[in-house]
Parts: sequence; C-alpha cells; structure tokens
Amino acid sequence: MAINAEQALAATKVGATARVDAAVLPRFTPGTRVRTLNLNPPGHIRLPRYIRDKEGVIERDHGVFVFPDTHAAGLGEKPQHVYVVRFSARELWGPQGGAKDELLVDVWEDYLEPG
Amino acid sequence: MNGVHDLGGMHGLGPIDIEQDEPVFHHEWERRVFGMFLPVFATGAFNIDEFRHAIERMGPKYLATSYYEHWLAAFETLLVEKGVISADEFAARRVALAGGMN
Repeated sequence: MAINAEQALAATKVGATARVDAAVLPRFTPGTRVRTLNLNPPGHIRLPRYIRDKEGVIERDHGVFVFPDTHAAGLGEKPQHVYVVRFSARELWGPQGGAKDELLVDVWEDYLEPG
Repeated sequence: MNGVHDLGGMHGLGPIDIEQDEPVFHHEWERRVFGMFLPVFATGAFNIDEFRHAIERMGPKYLATSYYEHWLAAFETLLVEKGVISADEFAARRVALAGGMN
C-alpha cells in the first residue's frame, strides 16, 4: 500500500492507537493486589526491568489493547486488558525510595499474577 | 529483552537535558526521517511493535545515537530483514550517497 501526502498529513495529525475493540474479560479489578512476573525474554517486552517481580495494586483498567510481545514476534495481537498499577517507591527502590512516593505504570495483563 | 534501551532506575547517565523552546527537529535530516515513517510503515512490512523491537536490538550504539537515528536504524534493519530491499541494495545505496549521489 502506498499513501499520498494528504493521507500522510491526516495520519500524522490523528495518530494511531493500539486499542482493540474486542470483548475480552478483565482478570483483575481496581483495588486488587497484584505481582509482576519476573520475565526476561530475549524478544520484545513492555514491562520495564525495574518493575519486574514487584507487588502493586490495580489502580485503573485502561481497556483492551494489542499485546506488544506477541505482536512484535509475528504471533498475533493477543488482545488483553492493560491496567494502571500503583507501586510504592519503597517496593521498587528499597530504602532509597521515598516513603510517600508512588509510581503508576501501565501494565499488560499477561505480566501480572495475583499478589 | 534486557536491552540497553531499558534505562529506568539507572544511575550515572547525567541530568535530563531540558531545552528551552525545543524545536521539533534539530536538523533537516530529522524532518526527512520523520517523513519516512508513514510511507515505510504503509508498505505493511512491519508493525509498530516490530519497529520498537528493532530499535531495542541496536545494542550499545543505541546510547550514542539520537532519537531519529534510532528511527533510521529501525527502517534499515526491518526493510532488509523483511526483504523490501536487499542487503546488497542497501550497501550500494550507502556507497552512492557517500559519493555525493542524491
């Protein structure tokens, strides 16, 4: 497929989304304690290293999105919920973390297990 | 992957350089690389996550190159890997451009 300048300009202004219009049930609800998995695959992953194997709480459900890990590997979209997960700075950084500081990170469902 | 791109929480990289009145592009070539994204993407050869993964696969040079150099590296990697251009075509074009051909 080729695009012309007009289409390119329109696409640049509107942008794109990885949101998927699929009826996928959420595994977690806001307020639930969760733990991120300790994942270190050689391929693409959107779970930053500093929040692997950490406990947090589901803050919000963003809805259903393409799963980047499989999508980057040519293994399909594997649509699933993405959550805002709240981590305490102490959980992430140990005693160097601020006692009142928290971090909110968007996390795909496949990266989580019950806390 | 545990790549060089995953910098969250790392020490020793210095302060974030916050520019006043930061321009959209710092060099004219950056504007061209930005403009390449949609036509290249529209070939359907790769998706956005493959694009990000290609940048992550740059290795140590990721840290010594700029944002749009990352984009260009991903185009080069993916277009060759997906067979849109051959490695020989790419190499020949580089030689031609270095010699002043447009």
